[in-house]
Amino acid sequence: MSPEFHLVTETKDNCVIINTTGYINNIGGQKIVDEFYKHNGNGINNVILNLAESNVVNSIGISFLIEIIEKLNQSNGNLIFTNLDPSIEKTFTIMGLFQFAKKADNLKEAFKLI
Amino acid sequence: MNVVEYNNIIDKLSVQVKSFQEGFSILSGSNTLKELSTNFSHILRGNFFISDVNIFFKNTLSAEWESVVIHNPRCLECLPFLRTSTNAHIDYFSDREFGIIATLPLTDGSFWGLVIGNKIDKTEITELDKITLQMFLQLLDNAYQSFINQRTEKQLNFSLNHRVVQLNSLIDTGIEISKLHKTSSLLELSLERAAALTNASCGVLQIISGGEIISSIGFPGNSDIKKVLSSDKIIDTFVEFQKVKYLFTLSDKESRKGIIDFDQTDRILLTAFARQVLTAIENEHLHNEAIEKERMHKEIEMAAEIQRRIIPQSLPEINGFDLAGINIPSLEIGGDYYDVSKLKDGRYLIIIADVAGKGVASGLLVNTLNASLNAFVENDFKLTNVANRLNKIIFKASTPEKYITGFIAILDPTTGVIEYLNAGHNPIFYSSNGKIIKLDKGGFAFGMLDFGLPYESAFVQMEPGEKILFYTDGITEAMNGKNEEYSDEKLELFFLNNKPSKAEIFIKSLIMDVKKHTEDTPQSDDITALYLIRNK
Repeated sequence: MSPEFHLVTETKDNCVIINTTGYINNIGGQKIVDEFYKHNGNGINNVILNLAESNVVNSIGISFLIEIIEKLNQSNGNLIFTNLDPSIEKTFTIMGLFQFAKKADNLKEAFKLI
Repeated sequence: MNVVEYNNIIDKLSVQVKSFQEGFSILSGSNTLKELSTNFSHILRGNFFISDVNIFFKNTLSAEWESVVIHNPRCLECLPFLRTSTNAHIDYFSDREFGIIATLPLTDGSFWGLVIGNKIDKTEITELDKITLQMFLQLLDNAYQSFINQRTEKQLNFSLNHRVVQLNSLIDTGIEISKLHKTSSLLELSLERAAALTNASCGVLQIISGGEIISSIGFPGNSDIKKVLSSDKIIDTFVEFQKVKYLFTLSDKESRKGIIDFDQTDRILLTAFARQVLTAIENEHLHNEAIEKERMHKEIEMAAEIQRRIIPQSLPEINGFDLAGINIPSLEIGGDYYDVSKLKDGRYLIIIADVAGKGVASGLLVNTLNASLNAFVENDFKLTNVANRLNKIIFKASTPEKYITGFIAILDPTTGVIEYLNAGHNPIFYSSNGKIIKLDKGGFAFGMLDFGLPYESAFVQMEPGEKILFYTDGITEAMNGKNEEYSDEKLELFFLNNKPSKAEIFIKSLIMDVKKHTEDTPQSDDITALYLIRNK
């Protein structure tokens, strides 16, 4: 069962890694976007979203992720999803997120895509 | 207007047309309202040599103006002059800090408001400027319409994709939960999927039995169940299996603008998930039942095997006599039994018995009979005493509907005298001088009554060439496809007409005759027979 949403962020070079835990809904999505803008405002335009501890997402959460993708596309940035639960990966594929964002099995592979 | 002035206007308009085209291209590429406004302010500043372009926006007529692009904070003082109506308004002022104040109604009921400062070169706003501004405002209107259309298209695409996700997830979840063999896991999975696909903030699944909540699951894990249930924006549905109710409740449908009401699609989805859960629970129940049946089947097979081992694999050689026997068990555990044992005094105990009914209980009674007899064989064997004691033992060990019919014979091979006792069994056929004598003296079936009624035995003198057929009702009641029994009469005839010198040949012939009667009809009861010949 999904725990309360929280996230942990780390930065490396021109990249921010956002590690999430829990249900990515309105609250979770807003927290991710806020965290993104905080770092994007400092000029970071590479984002790795590590969803290893998040296996449920709703469409409101997805709309926040699309907002990040659109913002990064304007600045030739990258959004890379890692450690995706198979059901989330399928959902993102159907929603078309991978047309504008990338995916990697793990963090090591994600860094190679930047 | 002279020719020069006319040509000048033509040139300027030509330049403006190009500017309009570029402007529209820039504006229509805007992704957000802020971006559209900023781009429009750049276009106006470039075309009119104005540094001060302030833009406001409001969604509805009654809404407050929102600042979108502000170059000069003093423009806020002009907000009261922004006139909102269904028509566009442009007011020009030649003696103020802000020379143009305009409002533009849009097709979706929203409004742009512009507060524009004076030209940098301090020149007056010309008629051509006014026409150009009108055209740029029209351009903004068109670009906004395009922006709205793009946004609507995106929302439609998103909505369509989300519907595909919902359907796909419904199918996937059905498959996933059908693979789970733990009810709690499938309940958790279906609750979280139902919540996510309906955009519910949280959900609760309550398991109710006998009107009491015996268990609750919340999603997300930290959800306050009371708070979820007390929300005024909930949907719920339930399924019931074996008087246990599974009540699903979802609360607070999310949107980017806040909590909204659930719609009909959400209700349909929730109901579909609940039905999947019901199917999965039913399947799990059937699966467990199948496992239990398989286990029972194996145990019954083992019991049947034990039962088969009680029947003797070979019979003792009795001097001056020829004896053969057969037991063909049916598919279930049967209740037929026979045995031949030599007593301490040199006589032989011959028994054939049949427990009422079939199954494990009958098998257990046969075992009890066998164990008791084996104990009695070791001691002095008085037939009526043994019968009385057997009756008490079987009566104590069995349920009211279970009893054992049996025929016990004690053969003295030296004299050919047989003492027998028929405990409620089929009359045993004894052929003497070309006639059949039915041996039926004895008493009630073992275990049927325990009133202390004594068993009585009787004696026959078996002469050389005489025969006795011991059998169970599996032979006389063997059915054919027309529901016709083999019958007592047919057995009697067979017994009279077939007198081979070897007991084994008689038994084989009898079984063949029974099989000939039943043809392909499955055997429904044990078939047991013993045939004793006193050699000539």
